[in-house]
Parts: sequence; structure tokens; C-alpha cells
Amino acid sequence: MSESSNQGDQTTHFGYKTVNKEEKQAKVAEVFHSVAAKYDIMNDLMSFGVHRLWKRFTMEFTGVRKGDQVLDIAGGTGDLAMKFSDLVGPDGKVILADINDSMLKVGRDRLLDKGYSGNIEVVQANAESLPFADNSFNVITMAFGLRNVTNKDKALQEFNRVLKPGGRLLVLEFSKTKNPLLSKAYDLYSFSALPMMGKLITNDAESYRYLAESIRMHPDQETLKGMFEEAGFANCEYHNLTGGIVALHKGIKA
Amino acid sequence: MDQTIIQAGLASAENAINKALQFDPATADKLLALSPKVLALNFENPSFCVYVRFLDGIQLLSHFEEQPDASLKGPVSAFINLARNDDKQAALMQSDIQIQGSSQLALSLADAMSQLEIDFEAMIAELTGPVAAHLIGKNLRNAVSWLKNTGDKLKQDSVEFVRDELQLAPHKLEGESSFADIQKIKMDTERLEARINRLKQSLSK
Repeated sequence: MSESSNQGDQTTHFGYKTVNKEEKQAKVAEVFHSVAAKYDIMNDLMSFGVHRLWKRFTMEFTGVRKGDQVLDIAGGTGDLAMKFSDLVGPDGKVILADINDSMLKVGRDRLLDKGYSGNIEVVQANAESLPFADNSFNVITMAFGLRNVTNKDKALQEFNRVLKPGGRLLVLEFSKTKNPLLSKAYDLYSFSALPMMGKLITNDAESYRYLAESIRMHPDQETLKGMFEEAGFANCEYHNLTGGIVALHKGIKA
Repeated sequence: MDQTIIQAGLASAENAINKALQFDPATADKLLALSPKVLALNFENPSFCVYVRFLDGIQLLSHFEEQPDASLKGPVSAFINLARNDDKQAALMQSDIQIQGSSQLALSLADAMSQLEIDFEAMIAELTGPVAAHLIGKNLRNAVSWLKNTGDKLKQDSVEFVRDELQLAPHKLEGESSFADIQKIKMDTERLEARINRLKQSLSK
């Protein structure tokens, strides 16, 4: 299900609904405005804390060194940005970027509360049109953000543009499990338990129903790998996590 | 094995080590001096690799994108023996563990670990306050000391029983004397072999 298949018409998916492309961005924004304040606690509850292990695994593949320039796009509440800040040191730079200002406010406050400043900048940016010069970054990460982007192909091309040659893109995202038992349990959990937890914690079941639906509509591992290659990335590979519920895709700018 | 499980194991071990290092600032400072170096621990039987990155505390990684500064390779049992040995530098040099890359990094780590002295009393004091922690700490130290003495005595007694009572093993000095004799015979045999070869060559001319 490549995003390019939708390029001919003006519609795209918002969960299971078909909406105009212009509408999707506003609807996704509504979802994240609604969940921003409780985003971290919901992540821990929904994944039983396992999202921390997925992000930990992602960090192992970044190869970040002191002095590097790193973009954490759709960085939300700054989980990865804080880790990058420690690794790049005072000579490096980390940009925590997100399209949603509510998420960025939570992220910025969290960074300051934890004493992170100096080598981190917070920028509101759309992944489809990044406000950065060509060849700016050594590493770009996007954790659980790509499925919310309207035109994924365009976003991948933008990542390729702003990466330095030899720089790497890492996309951590929900994916497809091939284990039928796990798949059934996962469906049951995400369509019954998730909206209920959303209702209890954030008083918003709809946003978490969207989350479950958007995961099902997101390209599977091989399709996303193909999209990486089409966007100009080399040495593309992916690693399944938790039986393929989540996958980490990696590509290098040639 | 799924990476989620591996990451859970590494994260738990990393948290435990870093927590312990908070109660031994001297060792923590020694490890901080190794930053930002990376040491690979390549275990054999079963085969797996863990990368140790030295930052403010340590990080344990299952994957590292670049060449580590040093690598230690050997069977799991050799690493366990190393961990149990008090003088880790000497034990590392005498073990089956191969060192690749910066041996200085491996020896510095061994040195820091040899002097690891966690202040358990401070650790307990965080939970119970200083008075109770002192009492618990004192009793714990006594118990550890008793266990260590008893263990050492048991080891010594077992050696003496096997050697003197059962007479299954020679005394250390007897063994060393026999090994010296064997070494002397080996050297004499090699000299004789060389002499015969030389005579054969002169006869063939």
C-alpha cells in the first residue's frame, strides 16, 4: 500500500476513513492536540512500557557521535532527543521537530524540566516540507510518526534531501506481524482495550481508535523498504521487533 | 530471540550496574575517564555479543554501528571466572579470553572492576535512614566476612583432604619438581634430536 498509489486522486486514509488530503493533516493535528498532555503516560500504559525498549533498539542503530547534527522529526515529547543530546555533546546539535505545537510544548517543557538545553532546538516543522538546508544532518529519526504523514513518499524525499551524504534515516513504526495468533491477540487488544484506555485516561476513545486503524493502514515492512529505495536511500534494511508489531527501517543517503 | 527481550535484559542489567556505581563514586569516576570508548564482550558457548559504552555510567548495547575500541572474546565460563577473581588484571592476562584492539582499555576496565567497592550501607540508608542502615550494614559485613572465611577454609580443607588423606594429587612442590624434571627431559631430547640430525647431515656429505 504505497502512498504513491494515492497520488492520482486527492484522497487519502485517516484510519479506515477516506478523507481529502488537506483534511488529513488537520484531523491528525486534532488527535495529537487531544492526547498531548497524557501522551507519555498513555504510551507506557498502551505498550506496557515496551516502547522504551523499541526506542532503545533504535538508538543502537543511529551510530551518533560527538559533534553530529541530528533531526528527531515527529519527536513529540523528546524521548530520543534527550538521548541524542547526551551523545552529540556540546559541539553537536539536536533538532526536536514536530508538526503539532501541543506535542512540542509538552516536549520542550519536559526537556527543560530534565535539564536539557544548549545543544537542543525545538522546531515546529512539517515532514513533507522541512525548513532545513540540503545536506544538514548526520542522522534523522522518526519514531511512530510516519503513518500520520499524508504524503509519505514526499516526506522520505525530504529526509533524503536534508541528510548529509552517508547520513542515515531510521524510521521506527508499527508494522505487520506474520504470526496469526499474535495478530489476533493484537487486533483484539488494539480495537477493544486501546479505545477503552483512551476513554479512561484522556476521555478520548476516538483518537485511540484512530491509532489502531492507522496502524492497519500503514505500509508493511517490505512496502516501506521499497518506498525508502524509491526515495533514493541505499543499503535499506528493516528489523522486526516484538514479532513484527513494530519494525525499524534504516536507509543510508547515497 | 526477539530483540525486545534482549533489550529488556540489557536495560535491566544496565540499570542495576549504574545504580550500583552510584554507590561507588571512585569506580564510577574511573569508568567515566574511559568515555566515549566502547568495549565488545564476545561470549562463546552460547554465542552472543554485548557492547559496553562508557559514558556518564555505562550503556549496554546489542548492536554497535562502528568498530569497538577493544574486544574481549572467550567462553562464558572464562568471563565468569574473571568476574569472581579479585585481581582481575592478572586473571585477564592468564585466562582463555583473547583481547583485540586496545588492551589498555580492557586492562583499565579490569582494574576499575577489581577495586569496585559498593557502599551497601549508603544504598540501604536511602530506604531506611542512617541508623537502621548502619545496623543492617554491620550485620551484613559480618555475614559476608564469615561466608568468605568459611568458603576459603572449605577450599583449603578440600585440597588437603584430596592431597593428604586420599593421596589422589601430589603436593604443589612435588608437582613443580616433577614438571621441572619433565621440562629438563624435553630439552635434553630436543638437543639430542638436533645432534643426531647434524650427524646424519655430515654422514650424507
